[in-house]
Amino acid sequence: MTPRLRVLLVLVTAVALEGTLLDELRVGGVSVELLLLVSILTGYHGGPERGAIAAFFAGLLHDSIVGAPLGLHALVYPPMAVAVSSLELRMLRSTPVTDGLAVLAAVAAGQGLASAVGMLFGVLGPSTEEFVRQAILAGILTAVVSAPVNRVVRWAATGGLPGTIELRRGDA
Amino acid sequence: MAATRPADRPRPTLLLLAAAALTLLTLHIRGAAPLDAFQQGVRDILEPLRTVTDTATDPIQTVWNGIFGYEELRAQNERLAEELSRLRGRSVTDDADRELLERLLDEVGIDYTQLDTIVVRILGTPPGNFGTHRIEVDAGSDDGLTEGLAVASGAGLVGRLEQVDRSRSTVILATHPEFLVGVRLVESQDEGLARGTGRGTLRIEAGIRPDADIAWNEAVVTSGGRSLLPADIPVGRVIDPDESAEYERSVVIDLAADLESLSFLNVLLAPSEADPLGDTRK
Repeated sequence: MTPRLRVLLVLVTAVALEGTLLDELRVGGVSVELLLLVSILTGYHGGPERGAIAAFFAGLLHDSIVGAPLGLHALVYPPMAVAVSSLELRMLRSTPVTDGLAVLAAVAAGQGLASAVGMLFGVLGPSTEEFVRQAILAGILTAVVSAPVNRVVRWAATGGLPGTIELRRGDA
Repeated sequence: MAATRPADRPRPTLLLLAAAALTLLTLHIRGAAPLDAFQQGVRDILEPLRTVTDTATDPIQTVWNGIFGYEELRAQNERLAEELSRLRGRSVTDDADRELLERLLDEVGIDYTQLDTIVVRILGTPPGNFGTHRIEVDAGSDDGLTEGLAVASGAGLVGRLEQVDRSRSTVILATHPEFLVGVRLVESQDEGLARGTGRGTLRIEAGIRPDADIAWNEAVVTSGGRSLLPADIPVGRVIDPDESAEYERSVVIDLAADLESLSFLNVLLAPSEADPLGDTRK
């Protein structure tokens, strides 16, 4: 299976999960932002260009299921995927805790940005406090489920190959 | 760690994608029908899956709500108990008020209860976290619903259908800051355009004369006319007539329908004789 097909499969599965199971499991009225998470992780594992393209289609699918104007999340997700990819290249060390916090921050930023764009285009009312609460809560919830999703997206984006291949001169 | 490959050109790709997204967004906001159809298609494909998941996850959802919704439920129970005792204490006043309202509604020939309706069940909030003040109901275009129809409870206006799929629809609640409705004050007969405030009330933003004689607790109904919502649906009562306004009145209305504890709603199938150009939808 090619990486494109694998990413497509992950996107279709994610949209089905986000529109069904995850929609039922809400905390404080907020649910997991699975498609945003997939976008961010595709940028992380697959590089900025692949991440941006996958994020664009994830955004279109997200727009369709949440009833937002088509293109709103597709405008926000690709820059988030590229930003995470760029940040990832600059990070010296990463631990599960820093990775989790990075996911939380990225999802909260993406969710907040989408609300801001919605307000800018006049499709959302100016309920800033509510949007901030939603963004933070969505970030926390999404970070909680990010570990298994990370494995799946890594498989889809890299085909299971390690991201870094260390080259050594053989002693034998 | 994923190294940037030489072939990666994030900047031009990002610019192209942003341009594509902005084009789609602009077209959609300007009302391009094929984009609506695409979105509706995606939702319709997911619909059977959602229905199965709804049923299959009912026990999980019950446990989940028990864990994460307990405090909210307790607070709601306390609020309802308080409300009940307050209402019992005010039953005499309420009877008098009801009588007055009925008399007023009779005087102006209000008969919104005679409209054909479809009873719909509330399913919850739409998927995702985009926006607030919206609910999903279990009927759609297969049941004869169309976008823009008024949604009411026994107490009055709740909102209108914003998005209609084959077997589900999204209702934008009257408290949503983007919800606009033409209203009429029953006693003073002044008409204006009311907008949701996001806080359980509506505010009449335009149309009220600065010298209008508006009473506290005055009943407010939909004005009909060029709006797609039928006339004379009870909206609520005036809780702030803004008497001190010098230039433009900003009258606050307390919504008659309680949006917190709804299970079933009526979609009013209005005769389609309204002038679409006069629709107050945004």
